[in-house]
Amino acid sequence: MSRDPLEGLLGHTGRDPGCEAAFEEFDRYCDAALRGEDLERGFPEFMNHVRNCAACREDAEGLLAALRGMMEE
Amino acid sequence: MPGAGLAVESRGRHYRRMALKQEDRDSAEWLRGLNAEGPAREGAVTRLHSLLLRVARSEAARRSAGLPERGREEVDDLCHQAASDAAMVILRKLPEFRGDSRFTTWACKFALFEISTRLRRHAWRHRRIDPDEQVWERLADSAPPALTRLEQTETLHCLQRAIRDDLTDRQRLIFQAAVLDEVPIDVLAERLDSTRGAIYKILYDSRGRLRKAIARSEGQEERV
Repeated sequence: MSRDPLEGLLGHTGRDPGCEAAFEEFDRYCDAALRGEDLERGFPEFMNHVRNCAACREDAEGLLAALRGMMEE
Repeated sequence: MPGAGLAVESRGRHYRRMALKQEDRDSAEWLRGLNAEGPAREGAVTRLHSLLLRVARSEAARRSAGLPERGREEVDDLCHQAASDAAMVILRKLPEFRGDSRFTTWACKFALFEISTRLRRHAWRHRRIDPDEQVWERLADSAPPALTRLEQTETLHCLQRAIRDDLTDRQRLIFQAAVLDEVPIDVLAERLDSTRGAIYKILYDSRGRLRKAIARSEGQEERV
């Protein structure tokens, strides 16, 4: 649960590049996640966007799950 | 022993370089096939479609619990549509692939986006989106968790006032639907004849206005 109850409604206040810019980063972000890199450091704006945008968060989780599934096959 | 540590680190870097080289080789192989002509290209396109279909089905399976019973038999059709549309986008955008990620990761994101949007719209296709004026009155039982946390606080009243007074009609509609009624933004984009990016921008601006209004009323400009 977020410490600031307003965050759930109004989002985090850091820089948020929006859905289209985040989509451009999706693949680099997922490869970095699979390599175990520091995502907060490497993708601060993307991370802020997926915290604020439920659809992009769900998509990022889905892409990572699909890629992990393929790596395990 | 520092030397051993360095050796381990160096070995780690070596394996990572090897893995990256292998990934580069795989990506180069995909690009060679898709840029070829004749049967080589056809084979690569078939493999690509098969990869995209796997991603679409994997995502549909992951979200199956959240899909309504009605219309489940159509989900595999949606996966095929998503894979085909993603393949067309990828072939069109192929010259834009810069190799910043593995080719398969880059390609799979288009399939994920296509199926994800279809699944959300499919789940909402029989549901109307009406601004729910009762949302403030039903906080105790069925309001979204984020709103319930603000229950009975002065901030809640400030927020309610700010939504009424500080947002345009379109901002109010989108904020209420996306945040309070939890309608996915790509469903809103479809119903409002817009794009997901444009809806998110309106939501982002609405949130900024509401934060400012709340900070103003609380005398905490630094919170914005």
